[in-house]
Amino acid sequence: MNALTVTGISKSFGSFCAVKDLSMTIPEGQIYGLLGPNGAGKTTTIRMIMGIILPDGGTIKIFDQRNSIDVLDRVGYLPEERGLYKKMKVGDVLHFFGELKGMKKAFISSQIDYWLKKFELSAWKEKKVEDLSRGMQQKLQIIVTIMHEPKLIILDEPFTGLDPVNTNLVKDVILDLKQKGTTIIFSTHLMEQVEKLCDSILLIDKGKSVLQGDLHQVKSRFSHDRIKLQYSGDAKFLKENPAIEKYDDYGNYVEIRLKDGENPQKLLRDFVKVAEVYRFEIVEPSLNEIFIETVKSEN
Amino acid sequence: MSMKMFSVIKREFVSRVRSKGFIIGTAILPLLMVVLLIVPILLSTLNSEKERKFVIIDYSNQVFSPLVAVLDDTTKEGKPMYTLLKKETELTGYQKLKSGLAQQVLDGDISGYMVIPKDVLADDSSMSRKKVMFYAKNVSNFNLMRTLETAVSEVVRTIRLQKSGFDPVTVKRLTRGVRLETFKVAMSGEEKKDQGFTFGVTYALVMILYMAMLLYGATITRSVVEEKNTRVIEMIVSSVKPFQLMTGKILGVGAVGLLQFLIWAVFMLLVSAYRVQVGQIFGAGPATMMGVPSLPLNVILFFVLFFVLGFLFFSTMYAAVGAMVNSDQEAQQMQMPVIVFLIVPIIMIVYIIGNPDSTVAVILSMIPFFSPIIMFMRVSVLMPPVWEVALSILILILSILAMIWLTGKIYRVGILMYGKRPTLPELIKWIRYS
Repeated sequence: MNALTVTGISKSFGSFCAVKDLSMTIPEGQIYGLLGPNGAGKTTTIRMIMGIILPDGGTIKIFDQRNSIDVLDRVGYLPEERGLYKKMKVGDVLHFFGELKGMKKAFISSQIDYWLKKFELSAWKEKKVEDLSRGMQQKLQIIVTIMHEPKLIILDEPFTGLDPVNTNLVKDVILDLKQKGTTIIFSTHLMEQVEKLCDSILLIDKGKSVLQGDLHQVKSRFSHDRIKLQYSGDAKFLKENPAIEKYDDYGNYVEIRLKDGENPQKLLRDFVKVAEVYRFEIVEPSLNEIFIETVKSEN
Repeated sequence: MSMKMFSVIKREFVSRVRSKGFIIGTAILPLLMVVLLIVPILLSTLNSEKERKFVIIDYSNQVFSPLVAVLDDTTKEGKPMYTLLKKETELTGYQKLKSGLAQQVLDGDISGYMVIPKDVLADDSSMSRKKVMFYAKNVSNFNLMRTLETAVSEVVRTIRLQKSGFDPVTVKRLTRGVRLETFKVAMSGEEKKDQGFTFGVTYALVMILYMAMLLYGATITRSVVEEKNTRVIEMIVSSVKPFQLMTGKILGVGAVGLLQFLIWAVFMLLVSAYRVQVGQIFGAGPATMMGVPSLPLNVILFFVLFFVLGFLFFSTMYAAVGAMVNSDQEAQQMQMPVIVFLIVPIIMIVYIIGNPDSTVAVILSMIPFFSPIIMFMRVSVLMPPVWEVALSILILILSILAMIWLTGKIYRVGILMYGKRPTLPELIKWIRYS
């Protein structure tokens, strides 16, 4: 069963088209990265998934059911813009949102204690939300998102405002949840986090899907033609090899770009015959490069 | 009612009832009532308790003895309240006399002294009043000053009349005026003495009703704006339908108001029923307290009923206002049109209380924007025909349902809209959109 199936959704605000004919399928148990530059339509897409706004067309299915409020009880959502009731006590806020998600009373209490301890907030249970620092409020909101043990979690920029220690803590929690079979969608433009965590990605720009699929496949699609080489010997063979499109000598190493369809393994065999090879690396482009390249080429 | 809506109601209710604002707000009205009722009684007893000693310098030589006879009030223990000492005038000079007495006043030996000039009894052509001088440390005790003035005037008047050959008793008897005594005709046909009491009570209750609707309405707006500003709304609407959220909010805040009103109502009924005992605690005699009429039960019931209905009607508008704006400041501006509806009855309060069955009053009490306050005024002053009250309430209830439907649509779109405030055409589009 898929955790989320989105088919051809669109949304316009007046004459502005925020999301256009977007589709995605997320199998259960994956961490799925929703990427895109600012204003690409990530948040609008998430809001449609959460039933906060209705799409103009297309369908959204969560665990093969329409995204009604009952189904959404099994979803955890951390909105991009953070905020909680400032005057309420931490424990009361968690209680309220637990009730809204239809949790049983005893379960709410045990979950509150468990998660406050996990996020080192136990001492703040009786304090008002406004007394907490920004980072602590952020952690509190993450607890609100996951305390009802949702099968699908949507996190919109979960790491903004967190220091490195807390970023790690949240990252570990996300990986923990994945281990338990939870599907996690997270929207961000921090590529480093995506590379570490995600199984699959969807890159959207101007409301349209521009790149989609398994993270490794996406990367290998972009990586076939670049090689990093460190050697000692005559540079002549670089100039004469017909498989090489062009190369840049950086002193310590040479970066080679192959012609389309050429096999890097064959190139390596040729090199070994004429030079001492210390390092031969097929370079995976960083997601950052892919992101910039794709978005640029779209424009 | 779904469990989730109940959670919303509970949150609104509990977080507000626990707040200092609610506790203070609830306590302040009964306190004010007690203060208004008890303080005058307390003050009057306090004043009369004190024994005072005055020195009288009587240059006319005729006023002193009758004045002693007139100022014969006694304290509770039966001791004379005023002790008057006559100061012989021939012995020393006037200035020396005065400075000696002033020292005695400052030392606290006497409470004050009075100088009665020689010509106080003269019958000259002038119509202006003769002067009598009174010296004391504190001359702002209004009651005491009036007592002294009245007493000396009485004595002087009597002596003058006698001198001119009139019998003071006859003159007094013949020149007395009349007093207007008012009665209220009640439903039971029984006539009760009513000296401005109905007016005062109605006025006070209407003001409470008005303030409560205004404040609790504004609370709704603030609550909506808070959820919008903190973006909590995004997390809530993925769990609760906007309509349920709005209804839950209104019912939650409404329950807070209802609780407050019930506390007040019970308090008023108790004070009203046990007013004699309450008075005794503060040392007021039963006669004084019986003079304070009791509050009719039906007025108190209508007071609570019209608060509930009026609040429900206006709160929907306040919720819509909250959904339309982005900040508390903007909210205050947008509340103005709603507040105007509440102010109109307040402006008309004197007219309506004076003419509770006039055509204007009857018509206004049928229009839901005014009826909660206007109909309550009418009920409180003069019970209108039952069918009028019933019709007014029916119209109000139907209007509440219509308003919930209409404002629910504005609310649903508005809570997720940020930025510019909607214009009227945009608002109509919102209503059509959902």
